[in-house]
Amino acid sequence: MPTATATFEPVITKTMHLEDSHTLGVYRKHGGYEALASALEKTPDEIIDLVKRSGLRGRGGAGFPTGTKWGFVPKGTDKPKYMCVNADESEPGAFKDRLICAKDPHQLLEGTLIGSYAIGASRAYIYIRGEFAHEARILERAIQEAREAGFVGKNILGSPWSCEVTMYVGAGAYICGEETGLIESLEGKRGWPRLKPPFPAVVGLFGCPTVVNNVETLACVPHIVNRGWEWFAGIGPERNAGPKLYGLSGHVNKPGVFELPMGVSLRELIYEYGEGVPGDRPVKGVIPGGASCPVIRGDEIDIQMDFDTLTRAGSLFGTGTPIVMDDTTCMVRAAWITARFFAHESCGQCTPCREGCGWLQRLLWKIEEGRGEEKDLDTLLSVTDQIEGNTICALGDAAAWPARGFAKKYRDEFLLHIREKRCPLDGALA
Amino acid sequence: MAQVKVKFDGREISVEKGTNLIEAAKLAGIFVPHFCYHPGLPVVGVCRICLCELEGRPKLVAGCATSVEEGMHVITRSKKVADARRAVMEFLLIHHPLDCPMCDKGGECTLQDYTMLLGPSRSRFQFEKLTWPEEDVGGKLVLNKNRCILCMRCVNLCKDVAGLDEIAVLNRGEQTFIGTVDGRMIENELAGNIADICPVGALTSKDFRFKARPWELTNVSSVCPHCSKGCNIVVGFHARRNEILRNTARTNMDVNQWWICDRGRGGFHHVHDEKRLTAPARRGDKGYQGVSWNEALLEISASLRDIILRHGARAVGVLGSGTLTNEEQYLTRAVFRDGLGITHIDFPRRPQPEVRYAKFTIEGDKDPNARGALLCGVAPVQSGLGVRDMVRAAAEGTIKALLFLRGGPLDLFGEPAIVQRALENVELLVIVDIAPSPISERADWVLPGVTFAEKDGTFTNSQGRVQRIRKVLTLRGDTREEWRILQELGQHLGALKARDPDPERIFARLAQAVPAFSGLTYTTLGELGAPIAAATADVAVG
Repeated sequence: MPTATATFEPVITKTMHLEDSHTLGVYRKHGGYEALASALEKTPDEIIDLVKRSGLRGRGGAGFPTGTKWGFVPKGTDKPKYMCVNADESEPGAFKDRLICAKDPHQLLEGTLIGSYAIGASRAYIYIRGEFAHEARILERAIQEAREAGFVGKNILGSPWSCEVTMYVGAGAYICGEETGLIESLEGKRGWPRLKPPFPAVVGLFGCPTVVNNVETLACVPHIVNRGWEWFAGIGPERNAGPKLYGLSGHVNKPGVFELPMGVSLRELIYEYGEGVPGDRPVKGVIPGGASCPVIRGDEIDIQMDFDTLTRAGSLFGTGTPIVMDDTTCMVRAAWITARFFAHESCGQCTPCREGCGWLQRLLWKIEEGRGEEKDLDTLLSVTDQIEGNTICALGDAAAWPARGFAKKYRDEFLLHIREKRCPLDGALA
Repeated sequence: MAQVKVKFDGREISVEKGTNLIEAAKLAGIFVPHFCYHPGLPVVGVCRICLCELEGRPKLVAGCATSVEEGMHVITRSKKVADARRAVMEFLLIHHPLDCPMCDKGGECTLQDYTMLLGPSRSRFQFEKLTWPEEDVGGKLVLNKNRCILCMRCVNLCKDVAGLDEIAVLNRGEQTFIGTVDGRMIENELAGNIADICPVGALTSKDFRFKARPWELTNVSSVCPHCSKGCNIVVGFHARRNEILRNTARTNMDVNQWWICDRGRGGFHHVHDEKRLTAPARRGDKGYQGVSWNEALLEISASLRDIILRHGARAVGVLGSGTLTNEEQYLTRAVFRDGLGITHIDFPRRPQPEVRYAKFTIEGDKDPNARGALLCGVAPVQSGLGVRDMVRAAAEGTIKALLFLRGGPLDLFGEPAIVQRALENVELLVIVDIAPSPISERADWVLPGVTFAEKDGTFTNSQGRVQRIRKVLTLRGDTREEWRILQELGQHLGALKARDPDPERIFARLAQAVPAFSGLTYTTLGELGAPIAAATADVAVG
């Protein structure tokens, strides 16, 4: 067993191996909904304080402190407040929220309810991406079970607080995972991100105060209530607390979701948990946290997997879901595939992203096909500069960062494509 | 509203709190470019050309979507801002066909102007451009998606001002396009405004396109003559061809904001109608014969005087028109009511259903100056008869002379059979009009008047705002302005002492005579007009 994480006890995935782990019966047998009961004995402010102290940071990619986000919801307003669960997990490489929805939906529901209680919401929406048809069915069933058992609906557990939970199935668009794109979509409109400010905490769903939280973020909440903030804050490095679901994919022998403390080393993740690279080939690069995060090189994998460390290293922790690429991978092609994804998923609303993503994709394909010139590489980098920071939402950045990352980290390989007028890795596996 | 102090490129100004950076910059004399932002539409912040730098903030902000705050220092002239704007320009042009020479927007295209102002002169984009076929989207518009920059103005005009989702954004990414829903046509009558506000050549007017280059047009401020709203317009005319080619909206926040309806937009074609009356004519045994103005007016005066002499002023009926200017309404009253003592004086009303859009109403009263007619006293006095009764009296033979200042279909004046009989029975039937009508076809005298585009004057709209129309075209054929006709007739009849050389001086007289207009002059009316004196009764007591 790996050394650094040997003593870690998984909590989020603890019961997922059990038969019928998605049912209310199994969930309750293992202490399910006890956190909700004890949360209801506290005041909403106490819950927010608890989550603030725990140091929980959003697991959807941005790593914003959850308790702080909840604290932004204005008090003393007549408007209804809404909790939105972001189950639109669309980041290529990420498949951790999906696991929670499929294997432990009640854990998500309990976290959602506690969060709703904390912010004073009487209605929560779970926005799940259209492709998760199987998970949506499970979730729908779980909501029904919870409603029948009195955890959802009027006067929950005999308290004066009522909360409805409604699931909404999206039509499948990356942009609907952006919190204001999600809100627009939930309102029945095009999933176009909104101008900020105002932020959703003040003007969100239907113009009312709204919190949008990621599935994994909310799944952490019952455990914080049950075990206390000190327990949570004690896991992982400072300012990057808690257990984390790492979704490992790409060239590894054992891809999958692993629950480990924040700050686990990427090398350990790949070699201990992922059991190494097939054929013991060298790691050429890793996209550490989903497609929008800049690639890191194979010689940089001795790095702690947490928000701050990866940001310092010039990449991003994102959703904490590394995609491993061995030496048979053409980095130009990998960059092109990423760019193609973002060009396809750009919502088309604002100019730099709409026009820039398509341009990046074309430039990368030109180089991959062996038609590239050196100036194309300069143009590529310049286009990424022109997109970054100039758009309404972060998708522009998300598209610019990986293209720039690939071009900078593997400049030699790009130049080789240009010089040899072909992809030097074509047929390398044959 | 509270004022805040902000700096633009070091220049401090005081502006109303909540003003966005584009508008605030204007006050500081600084231009912030913008495509999607329009003061009359919701802020969408999508084009990104208005990016500005805020001192102390790492990220640029959209000028349209950012409000001024106390102590804010906005930087619009840094390299960072220039780079970002140039980047947006480059992006906007990568799939743009650059077909300015054959694009109807050329010369008044924001994209073209900004390219000259901000853009890189060369594109680094060396790939095949995306292309789309041209499309008819209804609403008298043609859509060329190749030139579209997806600023959303068209979508938001329909959505926000008309309140109809007739045009929408479809698809996503670089495949995003503007289109109608399921290929249906745009039907709202405000859609023509899209051609005004589209910052590129994507949505152009079917009516105007390819007729002329915008720089060939002379633009004259005027007022739409097609309903009582009095929308401010710009009449664009081709001086060499003496032809109006379009009407566009002119901003007047008190009247029509930024918009006009499509009826007004296309409401100049009647000016160039081939069937226009172009010379005075007298009906004789062999049909109509041309006569000189002098002869016509002298003979009409003589006949009228004769009838009054024989039957009294109550044997004459004057049918005015709500389409004439205030000056002409005043003259109608001065000549016929005050001068000749005619009591049967009125004008027909032409109500149609009002069309109400979310933020714009096309008014139901189709006369541009019914309010002015009433204020000036074009109304029956001393048990004088109104339009229908006048016509009935003429049919019955008690009224011997009818003077129409505008014609129209028979039913505008009463039961068609009765009107028909009246027209046949009267001894003297005179009409001043711009085009033939069932009335002119029976008249003894047909005098060709002019349209709103061929004379100066003023209209009073339904809310009592007095606004100027301007002579745009030279007179067609032997037509003559009504204010001139009325003055000449008045003098021949001995009903008017003096003659004024232009409507401005008639207006000065009117302002003296009619309390509602007291204090107003062409100078005080300016470009946007001015309201009549408050609490003035509609019918001035004579």
